[in-house]
Amino acid sequence: MDLNTVLEFLLKGLDTSAPIAFAALGGVFSEKSGVFNIALEGIMIVTAFAIIWGSIMFGSIWLGLAFAIILGVAMAAIHALVTVTYKVDQIVSGTALNILAFGVARFLSQNVFGQETQSAMNPYAFPSWHGISVFSLLLIPITALAWFVLYKTVFGLRLRSVGENPESADTLGINVVLMRYSGVLISGLMCGLAAAVLYPSRWVSGMTGGRGFIALAAMIFGRWDPIGAVAASMLFGFADTARINFESKIPIPSQFVQMFPYVLAIVVLAGVVGKAKGPAAGGKPYEKGED
Amino acid sequence: MPTALPLLRMEGITKIFPGVVANDHISLELMAGEILALVGENGAGKSTLMKILYGLYRPDSGEILVRGEKVRIVGPKDAIARGIGMVHQHFMLVPPFSVLENIVLGSETSTLGVLSSAKPSAEIAMLMENNNLRVELQAKVEELPVGLQQRVEILKILYRGAEILIFDEPTAVLTPQESDELFKTFRRMRDQGKGIIFISHKLDEVLDIADRITVIRRGKVIRTLLRAEATKPLIAELMVGKPVLLHVDNPRLEAGETVLKVEGLSELGPSGAPALRELGFEVRAAEIYGIAGVEGNGQSELVKAIAYRMKTSGGTVRLMGREISLLDVRERRELGIAHIPEDRHKYGLLLPYSLADNFTLGSHHKAPYVNGFGVQNRKRIAQAARALIAAFDVRTPSELTPAHALSGGNQQKVIIAREMATKPKLLLANQPTRGVDVGATEFIYKQLVEAKKGGAAVLLVSADLDEIMSLSDRIGVIFKGKIIKEFEREATTKEEVGFYMMGEGK
Repeated sequence: MDLNTVLEFLLKGLDTSAPIAFAALGGVFSEKSGVFNIALEGIMIVTAFAIIWGSIMFGSIWLGLAFAIILGVAMAAIHALVTVTYKVDQIVSGTALNILAFGVARFLSQNVFGQETQSAMNPYAFPSWHGISVFSLLLIPITALAWFVLYKTVFGLRLRSVGENPESADTLGINVVLMRYSGVLISGLMCGLAAAVLYPSRWVSGMTGGRGFIALAAMIFGRWDPIGAVAASMLFGFADTARINFESKIPIPSQFVQMFPYVLAIVVLAGVVGKAKGPAAGGKPYEKGED
Repeated sequence: MPTALPLLRMEGITKIFPGVVANDHISLELMAGEILALVGENGAGKSTLMKILYGLYRPDSGEILVRGEKVRIVGPKDAIARGIGMVHQHFMLVPPFSVLENIVLGSETSTLGVLSSAKPSAEIAMLMENNNLRVELQAKVEELPVGLQQRVEILKILYRGAEILIFDEPTAVLTPQESDELFKTFRRMRDQGKGIIFISHKLDEVLDIADRITVIRRGKVIRTLLRAEATKPLIAELMVGKPVLLHVDNPRLEAGETVLKVEGLSELGPSGAPALRELGFEVRAAEIYGIAGVEGNGQSELVKAIAYRMKTSGGTVRLMGREISLLDVRERRELGIAHIPEDRHKYGLLLPYSLADNFTLGSHHKAPYVNGFGVQNRKRIAQAARALIAAFDVRTPSELTPAHALSGGNQQKVIIAREMATKPKLLLANQPTRGVDVGATEFIYKQLVEAKKGGAAVLLVSADLDEIMSLSDRIGVIFKGKIIKEFEREATTKEEVGFYMMGEGK
């Protein structure tokens, strides 16, 4: 293996990891505020469609990205409205959004592109570097920024406090609802970024392939820490890259080899993560007021 | 002093919850440089009144005046702005956050949204210095002992400039040593001219620390006493509404055969360090054996090992001569062990379930609660529940009321009723009166003595030394997982036991 092959492998691995990593970062913000967001997958389905649709409609990949982010945030806003304002169970809301997103994307594709399962080719693309989108490279500074925001700013401190002990935050005058909306909406934004690195040249039904769920696993494995979550995403991304590279070279049926990242996710979650502890108030709607 | 403007004045505060008048025209005054104790039984309305003052509840009528000025408090933010701070009974801390983060949360110092820590750290260091409340700022709150967590709460309200400090049963979770430290802090703050409202139902503490004592019963102020005129029986009578026997009639009986024999018991604690070190003692029929000790010296592990834990790292636990360490909970209960657990919410009750269901626990699989097909007999369950409610004086609307709706004292009565109904040979009572008011405490004491008179061996574990002294026939002092000294009750004093509790005199 020469140096070029190694570099190529690293870049390819980063590229494969990036969609999982962005979604995982979104998950971190949502869950740190105390709202489980298992709709990452569904939101990614919509943003992945939106970036193609928006690019073709507005004639620019950047406007396409903006469009994807808007729709991602809109999907997240539904989740926030339902779970934070109306206090519906967060898992139920997330499941509903996942099912909804699957149908919405196909419906829109039928109407926009005349076929239900795939879009037209998107002629617009992000600048690339050594064959990968610059957006994948942006993952690194964005991760650092996410960490900084969570741990070094007033906003981050308050966001984390409502995920751990909303009563306490409330008695100190912190707006619990506002903080939780912020956390959930940021997860929508991150899913927009995830779409940008997924495969921005065509939308195909099912293209997210469970990455939103793998992102949840990565978030937990990374112990709800931005850097940990991205590192865990890379474990999955690189495992997948390795699989693609070696699939044809080993005498195991490809179906088994393709299961590799998913089996890895299960093993990691069941084994290593057993003891990981999420935000204490995660999943619990905040009931304010007199009892 | 009487001519000075009061720091705080609450006038005619009324708060009605559906079906209950929690506060009925309550008025009180707090002067600067004064400690006012607010006493009353559970459910008397103390906490409601303080939550109104802190803006968590809104009163239906009445006024609040701070330094003579009428104020409107509609949320904790207003209260904080008026210099009112509250240390809640259940701490309002964020456990994984650092001490510094907990103190500044909500009142952060920042530049363009980025937290700065230098200025608040210096300010907090000053507060720590002035009030003798030192805590490591970078430590995580969840890793601190309760006493230090409470310091963080106090620093939190001082950091916000509080002049009126409310403490809701602050000593309920503290060891005697930590309580002493807290009272030193109270006195220091009083001498600085702050006003302190101290909610408690531990009368010794109230007499120890308060300048004035306001007694509340069923939502009304019954009387405000000056320290000089207050005595323990008087306060207790005002609280309960009838004279209370503070002395337990607890005759020593002829102790019978050995019921419980623990030998060489060793066990690791949650952190992996040894919690019990070759501990041994025995309890005989018709006697109460009290375990005295500062909390965290292995009491919890000891009770667990006897009540249900199957895995210990060494030693034996025998009931009537039979080794029980490897038996499961049901087998142990069948042999005659009953258990009043230290955390009644976690181990004693199913809070959302009705009292009737809670009474069946542990016997839920047996007649008369189930018929031959294993189907519950609701009629018999309700009958049995009503009988227990009457016999144990549980104050509840009905047997179908969920357990969480009851006050702490009544919840504890439910557990005691259930456990006593099994006619135990060995009764394990772990902190049986923690967070329980005077009236219920008296009742619980009587029940423990009744169990003893009925021939049961009673193992009493308590952090309250007065309780140990007045109930036990024999006392064992536990220190670092070992019984280091045993006393006959008549042959010792509170001071001597306290001395051994600190690990001295070994």
